[in-house]
Amino acid sequence: MNTDPTLTLTAPQDLRSSPWAQTSALSVRSMIALWRQPATVIPSMIFPLFFVALGTSSFSRAINLPGFPVVDSFLNFALAGAIVQGVLFGSITGAAALATDIENGFFDRLLVAPTARSSILFGRLAGAMAFGAFQTAFFIAVLLPFGLGIKSGPIGVAVMILGGTMTALGVGAIMSAMALRTGSSEAVQGSFPLLFIMLFFSSAFFPRQTMSGIYGTLANLNPVSYLIEGFRDLTIDGLTTWAVVRALGFSALLAAIGMGLSLRSLRIRLGRQ
Amino acid sequence: MTTSRVPHPILAENLVRTFGSGDDAVRAVDGVDLQVEAGEIFGFLGPNGAGKSTTVRMLTTLLRPTSGTAKVAGWDVSTEADKVRRSIGVALQDAAIDPLMTGTELLRLQAVLYGLPRNIHATRAGELLERVGLTAAGDRRVGTYSGGMRRRLDLALSLIHEPSVLFLDEPTTGLDPMSRKSLWEEIRRLNDDGTTVLLTTQYLEEADQLADRIAIIDNGRIVSQGSPADLKAEVGSPTLLISVDPTHLAAAREILTHFGEARPTAEGTLGVGLVDGASGVSAVIRRLDEASIPVIHLELNEPSLDDVFAEATGHRLEGAEK
Repeated sequence: MNTDPTLTLTAPQDLRSSPWAQTSALSVRSMIALWRQPATVIPSMIFPLFFVALGTSSFSRAINLPGFPVVDSFLNFALAGAIVQGVLFGSITGAAALATDIENGFFDRLLVAPTARSSILFGRLAGAMAFGAFQTAFFIAVLLPFGLGIKSGPIGVAVMILGGTMTALGVGAIMSAMALRTGSSEAVQGSFPLLFIMLFFSSAFFPRQTMSGIYGTLANLNPVSYLIEGFRDLTIDGLTTWAVVRALGFSALLAAIGMGLSLRSLRIRLGRQ
Repeated sequence: MTTSRVPHPILAENLVRTFGSGDDAVRAVDGVDLQVEAGEIFGFLGPNGAGKSTTVRMLTTLLRPTSGTAKVAGWDVSTEADKVRRSIGVALQDAAIDPLMTGTELLRLQAVLYGLPRNIHATRAGELLERVGLTAAGDRRVGTYSGGMRRRLDLALSLIHEPSVLFLDEPTTGLDPMSRKSLWEEIRRLNDDGTTVLLTTQYLEEADQLADRIAIIDNGRIVSQGSPADLKAEVGSPTLLISVDPTHLAAAREILTHFGEARPTAEGTLGVGLVDGASGVSAVIRRLDEASIPVIHLELNEPSLDDVFAEATGHRLEGAEK
């Protein structure tokens, strides 16, 4: 035992880390995790391309159906669905990792440090945003050699990458809210079928104008339809104000809703402790 | 860095934490008082579920106390939580470390979280890896580390900002004896450098070896507190443990009452605090022999922390190592 009864305690109170630096460091950690666990991210990169390949080879003549938008190829039509599908599925990975942090105690390690509470969430979401941007660019880059044409040009591609990034933020935030509420990675991963149903009952694979009955009604009510159509307008219609508003507006709205939900869930979780 | 002089880096008064509400409410910590001196290693000893970790979680700001007050490094854990966090190092149970990152990466992340100047991140990470003997493994992913290596890295992470108070929640649980001893040495070195350490453990030997003072907790209450030597001295006489054939158990128990107070033991064994110490053993054997009770096993133990625990709670420390 050190016998000095009034030992000088060094309290590093003057060390200050900015929330920005903390968010940045935690987002790097989140991206490292994605990079080092390719098995968790590859499906969200491969499956959308598989659906595009399947659709393009099987439904190429569907573009002549009444109600189908004027489009050079089914591939151009399918790109938007692939981007949103990839981002939706990819967002599960980051949120599941957040839940795993809660399960295994790493979340507590962050809480017991002078970490800004919002940085814990934003760090994770920044990683999801970077992955969303990468996925969008990846799908475009992979499909270009197969005849993909984007009428809005490089600016449209940039808008799509921005839209993909915001969509990843929105969906990632909603999934993170679930992770914070449940603290269970299984619960987060269990949302996969729900996301798939939302995608299936949307205009991801066919335009809403060609749908009828309950399928058409659900697609009309489904916000994912409008998200996809924003990206699709940029691909097949060109750089119009309406296309940009739809691509960015819906993803921004989704991001705002997601952030609200996830910050509320974070407050609730911290309040429980 | 700012400095302050605090004679009691950990102070808790009537600390209570309840989980649930109404009839289902569980009082996990039930009025704990603690006064840890600067520069000491304070052991918090108790079985699983006794309230050790809940107390530590309150002291480290992870849980809000239901009632009562606590100050760590001079700061109130409820109203000055951020200042508490900047003053303490914490290694929680199970060494929660991201297996996908390397030791160096985790240390550098920790340096950012605590706001260390960027130009010293690499040096500090290197120093700490060297300190805990992980220099060679620093660039390996933590997923490849053994349990002992993870614990040592956990300790290094908790030291990134040179905290004055260190909380170690069951730091050696699940470790092999070699790794445990190596961690003990590091904890002693830290304490020699002036760090106040609060360590929870369910290992009697660990508390005995490391702690200057010990608080024994059971069912959320501190039942005994003091230095290991003082606590053992309070027990006084050594414990004689005797195993006899189960058919003779009642008769043997009656005989033993003449030699001292009965002490709690494992089932099937009788225990008595021998008033006459070792010199009383022969008399016990003689009386048992006269009663034709054959002794299967006999053992005389000097007072241990297990005896202290048994005296205070009426039962032995389950799962504890003697």
